[in-house]
Amino acid sequence: MIRIGILGVAHLHVDSYVNSLRVADVDVVGVYDSDFIRGQGWGAKHGVKFFESLQGLIAASLDGVIICSETSSHVELVDAAAHAKLAILCEKPLGVSVQDSQRIVDLCRENDVNLMTAFPSRFEASLGEARDLVRSGVLGRIRALSGTNQSVMPMRERSWFVDPVLAGGGAIMDHVVHLADVYSWLLGSEPRSVYAVANRIVHNEVVSVETSSMVMVTYPGGVFGSIDCSWNRPLSYPTWGGFALSIVGDGGTLDVEPMRQRLVQFGGETTYSWIQLGPDSNQSMIQNFIESITDARPGLSTGDDGNRATRVALAALESVKTAEPVDL
Amino acid sequence: MGGVHAEAWQGTSASLVAILEHSTESRIGDMGRYGATIYTDLKEFLAAVDVVDICVPTYLHALFAIAAAKAGKPTICEKPLALTGAESLEVLEAFSSRGILLQVAHVLRFSPEYSAARSAVLSGRIGDLAAIRLHRLSFAPKRGRNSWFNDETKSGGIVFDLMIHDFDYALWLAGDVASVYAKSASGGPGHAIAILHHANGVISHIEGSWSEPQPVFRTKCEIAGSTGVIGFSSDDSSPMTLRLHESISEATTGMDDHVVGANPFELELQHFLDIIDEDVEPIITAFEGHQAVRLAEATRQSVETGRPVRLAATGKGE
Repeated sequence: MIRIGILGVAHLHVDSYVNSLRVADVDVVGVYDSDFIRGQGWGAKHGVKFFESLQGLIAASLDGVIICSETSSHVELVDAAAHAKLAILCEKPLGVSVQDSQRIVDLCRENDVNLMTAFPSRFEASLGEARDLVRSGVLGRIRALSGTNQSVMPMRERSWFVDPVLAGGGAIMDHVVHLADVYSWLLGSEPRSVYAVANRIVHNEVVSVETSSMVMVTYPGGVFGSIDCSWNRPLSYPTWGGFALSIVGDGGTLDVEPMRQRLVQFGGETTYSWIQLGPDSNQSMIQNFIESITDARPGLSTGDDGNRATRVALAALESVKTAEPVDL
Repeated sequence: MGGVHAEAWQGTSASLVAILEHSTESRIGDMGRYGATIYTDLKEFLAAVDVVDICVPTYLHALFAIAAAKAGKPTICEKPLALTGAESLEVLEAFSSRGILLQVAHVLRFSPEYSAARSAVLSGRIGDLAAIRLHRLSFAPKRGRNSWFNDETKSGGIVFDLMIHDFDYALWLAGDVASVYAKSASGGPGHAIAILHHANGVISHIEGSWSEPQPVFRTKCEIAGSTGVIGFSSDDSSPMTLRLHESISEATTGMDDHVVGANPFELELQHFLDIIDEDVEPIITAFEGHQAVRLAEATRQSVETGRPVRLAATGKGE
């Protein structure tokens, strides 16, 4: 049985990952968190043994770790896991700086460790199909991409998401990476430059980070893709939604909204809510991570993919400051 | 646009009495039912009318508008007012210096979904405006091979012809634009995205497309504020859906579709008359028509240079 440890529970996706790990028939050996109260509480709630010491968990004959700490702690946790030769699935974005993100990738490469970045969108069946359509040429030459990844500000779940030190920024750091990764994956090309504008008109009294932002990424051949990464849905807005993209080619257009496969509910605990159905992309991603360990091969979303997307988000933050496009 | 306006005039309190054309073989005149006289001489035409409606190809707007101003005729001019900011300013001054009314036909201001969305924002339903997304996704207008429309120097291309609708709407909602950064497909049927930073901090995403297959024409609008989000999509808000086993679309532009409520073109033309006859407050000023041209010009400049383009402030929306 594959043995997995959880490093950090700051990221809210950890709740679903632990379920996915169990469905995948994996031994969830333990959880470490630098915050004793948070880590112990989470461990008790989810029936996972809490380790007060990082090295204590690392040394527990693990095969791999899932890193769900605050983004600013990723590099330190990757350092420990990589040196122990453990496979790593790291939450996005990889780091809070270009240096951190690069260091994470380098540490894994130097230690010959398999690093995956948590990009569940790559495991959405509709996006996989979209990629096949793009590759098949049915859409003709691709000219532009237009996408949104909008949501409520996630601070009701975890407050560090709005801390510029721990998260590296606000909506830009949280949301740009998913579409930035999907765009490069669809196009098979590297981002060339990034321009962004932002404001914090929504929740301006509560946070110091950007809550609305529009980003434009340029790719080779004059292809461009916009990303609306805003946290500007009202707090009463249902989850999960707001992730959608349009692909524009000479042969036609394709709209993709993976989470549209859902039931709509009126009434109950909230006036309006969604019930997702269909395959769970988090489950597929966890499965892929486990297979990357058993089969000793890279996962579908690698460290390099995470590094590339994180650089786009960081360039967007820089562009907001300079009001100029930033070359990558 | 002449045909669309000729039809819309029938729903107003005015009579369409004269049409200026290249020749008396006018396609619009041939429709017969308007009872209008076809003129080929500009002077004779101007002498025959009280007000002028300019629907000539875009590159000729300024020429005919200035002639109408000189003749002292209140004028409504199709959008865009002109193809450069300098030219639209010249038109503006030709009218303002003579104290003559100039309206620019930005029809979105009379489209029920757009005006309702703006009213909702102004009434405070979503708090302070934060971010605007406007989409106008169409098939490429079908024109003859030798049509002026296919020449970007005459039509202004997708930025001046299509996106200007949403530029005007964004300006109407959020005021002055401080900078614009835009990308436009260098080939293919046409697709462009502009990101606007308004002087008051609001950000806008404007997307225009001619890349849809015929007869697809879709519009979307989403406005996010500090306390809520409102929006609409033509995909979801059409009161009728017709599905025929055999259908042949004859649409050449997306304008013939799904008008909810009164015809915006009629409203636009009647409003123009009401400003003259009843002294009502204009829903759009000639200066705003000029502002939309300036923004389109800056957008084109950004596409050409790959850099953001800053616009001088006018104080609106501060």
